[in-house]
Amino acid sequence: MTATATGTKTRTEILISGFGGQGVVRMGQILGLCAIKQGHRVTMLKSHGTETRGGYVRAQLVISPEDVDSPVVESADVFVAFSAPAYKKFYDCCSGTILYDPEMVEEIRPGAPARHVAVPATALAKERFNNVLFANMIMLGALTRVAGLDYEAMRTAMPEVIPRFHEQNLAAMDVGYTLPVATGSRP
Amino acid sequence: MATIVRADVTRELVAPWAEWERRYTQGRRLLEAGTYALTEGAIAAGCRVFAGYPITPATDIAEYMSKRLPEVGGYYMQCEDELAGMHACAGASLGGLKAMTATSGPGYTLMHDAYGWALTNEIPLVVVDAMRVGPISGITGAPGQGEFYVARYCTHGGNFETIVLSPSSVQEAFWLTIDAFNLSERFRTPVTILTDQVVSDMWEDLFIPDAYDALDFIVPRKHNLMMPFFPLGTADLDVPPNLVGQGTGVCVSAYTHTEEGYDIEEMEAQWAQTYRLVNKIRHHRAELARYETLGLEDAEVVAVAYGADARTVKTAVREARRRGLRAGFVRPITLWPFLDELFARDCHYVVCELNYDGQLVREVTRAAPDKGKVHFMGKSAELHTVAEVVAGLEGVARAGRIPELPYIWTEVR
Repeated sequence: MTATATGTKTRTEILISGFGGQGVVRMGQILGLCAIKQGHRVTMLKSHGTETRGGYVRAQLVISPEDVDSPVVESADVFVAFSAPAYKKFYDCCSGTILYDPEMVEEIRPGAPARHVAVPATALAKERFNNVLFANMIMLGALTRVAGLDYEAMRTAMPEVIPRFHEQNLAAMDVGYTLPVATGSRP
Repeated sequence: MATIVRADVTRELVAPWAEWERRYTQGRRLLEAGTYALTEGAIAAGCRVFAGYPITPATDIAEYMSKRLPEVGGYYMQCEDELAGMHACAGASLGGLKAMTATSGPGYTLMHDAYGWALTNEIPLVVVDAMRVGPISGITGAPGQGEFYVARYCTHGGNFETIVLSPSSVQEAFWLTIDAFNLSERFRTPVTILTDQVVSDMWEDLFIPDAYDALDFIVPRKHNLMMPFFPLGTADLDVPPNLVGQGTGVCVSAYTHTEEGYDIEEMEAQWAQTYRLVNKIRHHRAELARYETLGLEDAEVVAVAYGADARTVKTAVREARRRGLRAGFVRPITLWPFLDELFARDCHYVVCELNYDGQLVREVTRAAPDKGKVHFMGKSAELHTVAEVVAGLEGVARAGRIPELPYIWTEVR
């Protein structure tokens, strides 16, 4: 029995996971709202420990032009790993591309380098903004590029979800969107 | 074996909001949580009082209510516990306002005394139970479906029927909450919205119609100012709720009561009261049927699930059909009174629910023509995966039994 029994091809599954406080759910909210504005149906499951910060957090998004039945990501098209435990725990739930932060996920599985995109979001957030909190927006920019999503729509959706620091957050998205590793050979 | 199984099967949704959704299309499309939808549904339905005690995963309902109710001229009341919360709701409703409380399993249990008061005194109000895995406090952030029977027997003493509805999406939570208020007014009884941690915490695209005042399907609060306050021995619907104060003279008591509401210790009065509490629901079962089905026209194996769990189960049914199985899907939305008629078809049933002891499966077994063809797939604290349910459906279709799967229990006895 495989874990990839989802037959419907119209759905896009995105899995984001890391520690509490890294902005995992915020990223999911922006992705979801952006898709809704483009007329799609969206579900987002968020699960977390009881802690506000430090515990594990996971956001599972399903985006589809049609009604979404199962909201569970069993075979992610894109997996964003913000921590080593998240990478290990959900690796098998992904059949597509894995975006990971190399500062958090130091070791990746051998054998599938093409699936992996290293996005040094935390390092860049510290370097460019002197604040690790912008790592999620750098990752969102990179994800938008790698997944071929509408970047302008994403930039429009962001300020509706994040209450403050819009300019810096947009700048952080730009950093991720223009990363060579994201623009690479991928569409 | 080249069986051709149609993929474009019939989907049937029997619920009043199927029509509401067609008629009201002007509004906002949001990405919001189930708790938000439950709150907005209540506000749209005219709820003006929330009294309760916060508990995960229903806390956000209290929080949203504390913000929204003052905006619409309503009242939010933080109580010392759930028992006080539900009693306060009953009091608010007797005072003439629509009221709601929200909790999870541990608080729902504490409400049983207040539930009995509201039920026997025919006080309309709505209770949300966002189920998490148990027993007792269990895990706060994990879904369960352990209150299927607790919601039916929501107080002691017997001699009553209950109305329990369960949504499976954020959008449905919005419409269903309005429906719950409508039924509560029409049947003069508390209605439980039995939801779960996934539906309440999940974020989904949500359509909210623009002007709540323009929704013509909302049953407004009416006031009964005259005797008989309790039409004992009848099963009439649409009896306006009683109003305490305003000189009506109605009495509200936990004891067997007269038509005025005064205590009485006579068998005839008890029988007449029971007749009303049971039959106002039983005689109007047709008004209460809400369900969704898929592919019943040719199904040999029907998956049964409700709430959030029905979402992955439905995807599994579609996947099973894609693989050539004559699979069908039944999702009761009205859990109580139980919709026996959904299980009239003589076929295999695979009942998926989020508990290991088996609750819904017992009712399906009772209602199904062939008890030997009812199978149980219990899981705990996590939704069934599509892969698990497909494996279960295939196992039953090919070998008449659910295969051994990790985390799945199949024994009911």
